[in-house]
Amino acid sequence: MKKYGNFNIFALIVGFSFLYIPIILLILFSFNESRLVTVWGGFSTKWYGELMNNQGIKDAAWVTFKVAFVSSTVATFLGTIAGLVMSRFGKFGGRTLFSGMIYAPMVMPEVILGLSILLTFITLSIDRGVLTVTLAHITFSMCYVSVIIQSRMSSYDESINEAALDLGCTPLRTFLLITFPIILPAIISGWLLSFTMSLDDLVIASFTSGPGSTTLPMKIYSMVRLGVTPEINAVSTILVGLVALGVVTASIIGKRQKQQTI
Amino acid sequence: MDTKDKKHNFLKRIFNGRNAVISIPYLWLLLLFLFPFVIVLKISLAQPIIAMPPYTPLFSWGDSLWPKIQAGLDSYLFLFSDSLYIKAYLSSIKIATISTILTLIVGYAIAYSIARAPKRWRGILLMLVILPFWTSFLIRVYAWIGILKTEGLLNLALMTIGIIDKPLIIMNTDLAVYIGIVYSYLPFMILPLYANLEKMDMSLLEAAADLGCRPIKTFWSVTIPLSMPGIMAGCFLVFIPVVGEFVIPDLLGGTKTLMIGKVLWGEFFYNRDWPVASAVAIIMLLLLVVPIILYQKSQEKAMK
Amino acid sequence: MTDSSSTHPWQDPDQKPYIRIENVTKKFGDFTAIDNLSLDIYKSEFFSLLGPSGCGKTTLLRMLAGFENVTDGRILVDGEDMSDIPPHLRPINMMFQSYALFPHMTVEKNIAFGLKQDKLPDDVINQRVEEMLELVELTKFAKRKPNQLSGGQSQRVALARSLAKSPKLLLLDEPLGALDKRLREQTQFELMDIQEKLEVTFVIVTHDQEEAMTVSSRIGVMESGNLIQVATPTEIYEAPVNKDVADFIGDVNLLKGIYKGKDKEGTQLLSEDSNSIVYATQEVEAELEDTIWFAIRPEKLEISKRKPSNDINVLQGVIEDAEF
Repeated sequence: MKKYGNFNIFALIVGFSFLYIPIILLILFSFNESRLVTVWGGFSTKWYGELMNNQGIKDAAWVTFKVAFVSSTVATFLGTIAGLVMSRFGKFGGRTLFSGMIYAPMVMPEVILGLSILLTFITLSIDRGVLTVTLAHITFSMCYVSVIIQSRMSSYDESINEAALDLGCTPLRTFLLITFPIILPAIISGWLLSFTMSLDDLVIASFTSGPGSTTLPMKIYSMVRLGVTPEINAVSTILVGLVALGVVTASIIGKRQKQQTI
Repeated sequence: MDTKDKKHNFLKRIFNGRNAVISIPYLWLLLLFLFPFVIVLKISLAQPIIAMPPYTPLFSWGDSLWPKIQAGLDSYLFLFSDSLYIKAYLSSIKIATISTILTLIVGYAIAYSIARAPKRWRGILLMLVILPFWTSFLIRVYAWIGILKTEGLLNLALMTIGIIDKPLIIMNTDLAVYIGIVYSYLPFMILPLYANLEKMDMSLLEAAADLGCRPIKTFWSVTIPLSMPGIMAGCFLVFIPVVGEFVIPDLLGGTKTLMIGKVLWGEFFYNRDWPVASAVAIIMLLLLVVPIILYQKSQEKAMK
Repeated sequence: MTDSSSTHPWQDPDQKPYIRIENVTKKFGDFTAIDNLSLDIYKSEFFSLLGPSGCGKTTLLRMLAGFENVTDGRILVDGEDMSDIPPHLRPINMMFQSYALFPHMTVEKNIAFGLKQDKLPDDVINQRVEEMLELVELTKFAKRKPNQLSGGQSQRVALARSLAKSPKLLLLDEPLGALDKRLREQTQFELMDIQEKLEVTFVIVTHDQEEAMTVSSRIGVMESGNLIQVATPTEIYEAPVNKDVADFIGDVNLLKGIYKGKDKEGTQLLSEDSNSIVYATQEVEAELEDTIWFAIRPEKLEISKRKPSNDINVLQGVIEDAEF
């Protein structure tokens, strides 16, 4: 093994400090007794208690969860189909446009996505609310799911499907009995990614939500604009914890998938 | 085979299950991704009025048989007449360019170090890079407010050690925006770079060293050119969305930090001038269409 | 040759072929993978398609299985036109080069998969799976997943799975390609054994001429989408139809000569290298004075210090170098 240089160790230490210190401080100060976010006043969980009494935050959290659950489920369905179409259907009319519509939303500035989809809802006279936020989230999440499925399919041995057909299995049953179980871990990671992205989104939700459909990021945003408070730290800590839990689950599933494919 | 048979096959080909499967996600994206841009374009050509919706219709049927088209470039002319917008576009591109370069430097160092780490560590290190990316963007930006503000943790730490005796003004400046962007977009840079560097054949570097190439020179003349696809993918992934970034300049930048995403937000939510907001979006899209197409092509190539 | 029609059905005009490939052409865009190819394969044959990679042999096999459509011509199996029959309805099974085992199923589930598609009762399936496991000697590994098997074991699972439905015709795509040499030779004999026992028609694709020579009843040598020669291994070895086939099959000394007609000793050739007359047992269609290629298998050459008693095909030479 080649010797691992001092520069590399230094880069990793500085890099990871940069990535993690802000989040660690954020979590730390959510347990601060003092209202001042910069002065340590002793350990306390009182901000979490206050959070529990904040009906606005609880409502927003419920809306966010509903939107995230529904949008990630539908996005996973649509994105899986799109990914399979891209990786297995070869040439078809309008393939370039389709691929463009899959890759573009991933880099497109969120303000453009939010504005354009909102103006569409207004043109079609769809009232803004939970439904419109959900539809918007499905649209960008499905693109990420599709890319995850595509990258899974790029290492998928097509002769496995052919073997099933060859043994008398119909194409539809081949998908259900063979392809689907094999790519299921990728589908689950796609769902988890969609779910967290929906949970995180501020800009697109701000454009597409209406009265009564304020999401948690929107609520946090309006609180942040009024100033830094330990309550925001507390709600952020809960979200970070939930996401960490999801990521650990996803990585365990991912490991199982790797074991299966090798 | 007679023609009737052929025609039957042709119809079968159009209405087969394959096309039905393709059409589900295709129609969804057409309706909720592509069609919206047509709407934005349409509204950008209308006039603002105080009504709901607050713009004039593009077509109106008067007494004549043909609809009267009320399209105007007023919104676009307005954008070019007020220097605020042009400055905002230029400033967005400047901020996106500088922060892409900064992210590339930081990201390259980290990606390179991970790719050269012992194999058993690489998975964990990469996981550690991705982990913050899963947490909310808003929360990560918010975390920096507490650190960077004048009475924040950074100034507190520096003054306690005694490096400075007056607090640094970082919050609400462009510097804070750069820090926020590098921090938030770092994983987008590291992932494609790492994927590329990890695959790189170490024997090439050894061959260069063997031929008498000094390490620094090897890095510039072998490693960097070979990792160009990763560099390009990472830069697109950072540059394109940063041009339209809203949250970071809004929360960390000051009133002097001009970015087009913030302008669009303001036109829409505060001024309620939808035609101008739409025109701002269309011009931004025109600026980004080339990098977006380049990005899509590079991604499609990578998937093969 | 005087063989009975049961072991050499292709010599018997009354025998009906089991597979009939009629003027089949396959194009991928502008590229012609198979060029107007016709071939008959008979019941219980062990037929090898042999050729370098890219010669179209795998494409031909995939057309038999139904994974590729025929651009022109048709394929008949047991007299039935296969053109409109999708792969899952063909009475043909295939063993894949990558084995294509289902990674999420155990060995026994893999073997049972085809039988389950036919909706057979459970006890029939279980019994058949057990038979198959015994046949390939993997009974102990029934509960393992494919990623817990060695290359040789995976190969045997793939074979058992493709044989489980007792197909009349089994297609094998480079079945031994992924195994090391020792295992490959051992498995060749196992394959022949199984083929004889079950009386299945085997069509095997390979680029390994030694393998084809060992296992086949007949070999079809392919090159750029065409069949150059279809014959038994002995015929191909003894009487290759052209220089390429001779060169491809076994070691050979290829020499140029001038056709000088024939007499009672055989075909007369004037060897360019030794400038003397050489007699060949094979006949050739050529004009006098035509330049033609001839080949001498190394094991047919005898060398001695004293001049042998033969009158023909005796040449004098000097030993220049010796290698082992």
